[in-house]
Amino acid sequence: MKKRSIIWYLRIYIKIITQDIKVKLNYRADFVISNFAQILHHISGFIVFWLIFQNFPSVDGWDYYEMLFFYGFSLIAFTPTQCLLENNWSLPWQVRSGDFIKYCFRPINTFFYYISEVFDTKGFGQLVAGIVVLAFAWLRLEIAFSFITLALLILMLSAAGIFMAAMLNLAASTIFWTKGFGLMEFVVRFRDYSRYPITIFSGFLRYLFTFAIPMAFISYYPSLMFLRPDQVPILTWLSPLIGIAFFALSYFAWMKGAKSYSGTGS
Amino acid sequence: MKIKKYTTILRAGMLDMFQWRMSLFITFLGNIVYLVVIYNLWQAIYASSPYDTVNGMTFTDTMLYLVLAMTIFNMTETYVVGSMGRHIQDGSMILNLIKPMEYRTITFFEILGADIISFCMIFVPTFIIVSIITGFAIPLGVNLLLFLPALLFARVISYYIDFFVGTICLYTESTWGINMAKEVLVLLMSGAVIPLAFFPDWLRQVAEFLPFQAIYNIPLQIMLGQVTTFETLPMFGVQLFWIGVMYVISGVFWKQSIKTITINGG
Repeated sequence: MKKRSIIWYLRIYIKIITQDIKVKLNYRADFVISNFAQILHHISGFIVFWLIFQNFPSVDGWDYYEMLFFYGFSLIAFTPTQCLLENNWSLPWQVRSGDFIKYCFRPINTFFYYISEVFDTKGFGQLVAGIVVLAFAWLRLEIAFSFITLALLILMLSAAGIFMAAMLNLAASTIFWTKGFGLMEFVVRFRDYSRYPITIFSGFLRYLFTFAIPMAFISYYPSLMFLRPDQVPILTWLSPLIGIAFFALSYFAWMKGAKSYSGTGS
Repeated sequence: MKIKKYTTILRAGMLDMFQWRMSLFITFLGNIVYLVVIYNLWQAIYASSPYDTVNGMTFTDTMLYLVLAMTIFNMTETYVVGSMGRHIQDGSMILNLIKPMEYRTITFFEILGADIISFCMIFVPTFIIVSIITGFAIPLGVNLLLFLPALLFARVISYYIDFFVGTICLYTESTWGINMAKEVLVLLMSGAVIPLAFFPDWLRQVAEFLPFQAIYNIPLQIMLGQVTTFETLPMFGVQLFWIGVMYVISGVFWKQSIKTITINGG
């Protein structure tokens, strides 16, 4: 395949996405209802924390606003995955029916083409909920705000976003080998668990949820940059690098799966 | 009345579910992870409190309650709304309407068949594991016998709610959003994500006037032996009341709706 520049890919991406958004604009009621449901979902998440702290003073030493910080952070971190990688959810069906083969014949990167086909507008509700919760917690915790913290926040959110994307991609890549049945439903549940600090686990489980299923990187480690600025662990600083490496791994697994795909013969 | 036509559909539902053995196993695995997370989370939460019993719930009570509620949720989550939405969008609903049996009845027995399989393959193993972990904290006695009809009634209520929500999809094509909003409301107000015991009084009173608590709270209270055998009678009464109400509401709404809508491709 010819090497293409990133600008070229970006231009193609915008073209494909525009078509998808045009289609979605025909279903305005769907957009409103879906985003309303998303926000309702996160209000319910907020209520759960509120109820816990109505009955208990803290969670493993973390107070109410710190818990909300983790929660808001994880919601924002999941938004890029929700918006950009949504088409992975159609993969089981595409692989089983044989429709996936059409992506293999295009003179363009298969992963890129497949993923660019759908832009999920449901992510907006999540983003809004995440920003509101994070800002609320940020103000209550009276964390200083400067251009440096803003830059760090963007860096840490990107790192966390990459981890979530990589986890879901890796889960989606299993679909190619199992022919239409994947681990995505299993993995996506970690999105909800990542809002809890990893300190509630001890020993083996902490290692498991940090290195094998790296949900600690979706909210806990990057948030420490702001919650405990005096003692930022080394893993927090390394998280962007580990995230990129992990994403690369998931990308290669996905591509290897797509290459081995042979269609259904019809 | 011929019973055979119902058992045939029931059997078809069971066989259909058997196709998804692997996905049932993954759901079971997901439940185990949920158990691990809930166990650690609530242990940390209870550790912060000076009391062992908060609002009448000990750590073991809370954990059992939440894990079993999630298990029931996974078991009963059979996408009635999703499949109704699909039947409406692709027009195949018309084939269901001309059958010599009411659509609502056919679907119910299909789902009941699927439930029997997931009860054996998800609920029973999770129940055994959670019993072992808590050192057999669930009393093994008449409460288990009473739990079964309570679970069946709960299933009927949640089915009629699903059917009602699925009918809304006749008017809007936003199946995902509507289903999501329903799930959030049901899970929160039924006490499945945080037990009703932790609700402030006013919110608990609101919850008690809604049908959702009859789906999770009643069967779980009966199973965990939090009520005496005599006290279960009014609980069954409440469940039967909601079955009656939801039966009428969902039936009337459906009959009104199919008169007024047009279905694609008819």
